[in-house]
Amino acid sequence: MLSIENLSVEFADKTLLSGINLDFQQGDYLCILGANGAGKTTLLKTLMGIIKPNTGQIFLHQQNLFTLSQKQLAKQISYVAQAHNHVLHFKVDEFIKMARYPYHSGFSDWSKTDQTAFEHAIAVTNTEAFLSRQITSLSGGERQRVMISAALCQQTPILLLDEPSSYLDPHHQVEVHQLIQVLNQQHNISIIEVTHDLNHACQRSKHILALKQGRCLWYGAATALLESTELGQIYDQRFVFTKHPQTGAKIALACEGNGSTL
Amino acid sequence: MKPATILTWIALLSITILFVSPFIGSFHNSSPEIQQNILTQIRLPRILLAFIVGAGLALCGMVFQAMFHNPLATPFTLGVASGASLGASLYVYLGFSFSLLGVEGTTLTAFIGALVTISFIYSLSRFRTGFSPETLLLTGVAVSFIFSSLILFTQYLSNVTDSFRILRWLMGSLTTVGYDNLLQLLPFVSFCIAIILWLSRELNLLSAGDDIAISRGLAVQQLRYILFFTTSLCVGAIVSVCGPIGFIGMMVPHICRLLIGNDHRWLAPASLLFGGSFLIICDCFARLVIAPAEIPVGIITTLLGGPFFLFLLIRSRTTANA
Repeated sequence: MLSIENLSVEFADKTLLSGINLDFQQGDYLCILGANGAGKTTLLKTLMGIIKPNTGQIFLHQQNLFTLSQKQLAKQISYVAQAHNHVLHFKVDEFIKMARYPYHSGFSDWSKTDQTAFEHAIAVTNTEAFLSRQITSLSGGERQRVMISAALCQQTPILLLDEPSSYLDPHHQVEVHQLIQVLNQQHNISIIEVTHDLNHACQRSKHILALKQGRCLWYGAATALLESTELGQIYDQRFVFTKHPQTGAKIALACEGNGSTL
Repeated sequence: MKPATILTWIALLSITILFVSPFIGSFHNSSPEIQQNILTQIRLPRILLAFIVGAGLALCGMVFQAMFHNPLATPFTLGVASGASLGASLYVYLGFSFSLLGVEGTTLTAFIGALVTISFIYSLSRFRTGFSPETLLLTGVAVSFIFSSLILFTQYLSNVTDSFRILRWLMGSLTTVGYDNLLQLLPFVSFCIAIILWLSRELNLLSAGDDIAISRGLAVQQLRYILFFTTSLCVGAIVSVCGPIGFIGMMVPHICRLLIGNDHRWLAPASLLFGGSFLIICDCFARLVIAPAEIPVGIITTLLGGPFFLFLLIRSRTTANA
């Protein structure tokens, strides 16, 4: 449904992304891995129309993404940004309802469809309990659920997530991971997630794209990454492997010592 | 309380102020006919002028706060009003006398001054990513300084009459006789008010930050250009008629945010009404404090606004550190 062809982004003489090609199918769950500054966030922002690429094309259902208006794009793709410092002075329900913007023009009223989307979004993310609270008063985990809830309320077939579980405690990390999997499997939302959690990516996602210095280092089925010789190069980090005591899944652990050898 | 209830109260209060304020002040025991004249030719136009000026400035301030994600950003703190003032004083100094399609020359030069300044400030803020709000404000201060000295320069070069005209006007005043000034301002300010009320949903998204706004389908860049144009027009028109009346645009939206919340669909009409009535009250003080003489209202709003600005600055520091 989404295909990226030879995408390059430069900013102030610095190459952020270079020659990225990608075919993304409906229902897929893609994790993007890479060291800090590898271009992961830039790729998401380019898909969302926040950053304009220098060369390359992106097609959504065979249609050039850059010919769509921002509103049309927002009906196809939604985005949960990295947890940032920007203070959001909104009540939770106000903020979630704002996500219906692409479906409105001028003074048009809140419709039944809007209400259904809103109720669905808060039911799936279980955010009903703090609808009337201020976003600033939420904990990190609650806040992330609200952000995902708002993206859901936008009712798009594709959801982009930028490090949705970073800065969360283990309990809330698992909670967010499970929520993303539910969205992908039960609600048939295609997911592209930027993450630093290697094992989470390998176990839950379907495909993995590893970026290094703006280029594609590795792309393939998620289960194949831990078998790949390129794993060490992603972060210039040595890994050792063990088995998850409960699930038996292969797990990579970073170990001391530099170098990209396994 | 629900936003609708609060807005109703603000509306009722504004109507009361509009009706009561013309009767505040002395009538000098004059004949009924003169009293009638004072009321309809002096007080009423002045109060209506105060209302639309206050409403326009409050809304422009609200837009700036949303656009720059900063409660301290207003057309005045960022130097846009100074730009408009410079435009208007150049008009006086150069002895221009023209109008275009019925629009006064001062309004046009003030509009151009405002638009140039806002574009300059914005391009500076885009010049480097991670331009902090503090830097933005300091840029505004620097720009204001530069423009102030240029205004002083035009004053210095002008003859005594023009120089006094510029000085008196720089203090910000609502003194008016008859309805000419009001009618000159009304089309611009009401146009801008209409646009801003129309864009309240967009302003909500904009105040959530660019990334969120774009991902929700808002064409942020396009919206910014519309808002730059609209606020420049409004500030330019107001400054050209009344001079720079400071701090209304910062205090009023902030107080309204505390009262009614940050949803611009409620905040915009609340700021409009509150701003209008607030300036009427300030102007009543200006008329009464040293009656029968009067103080330029700009001095009163700045005396109130300066400490308010400091208060916000200190508070934002302490909350940022907490």
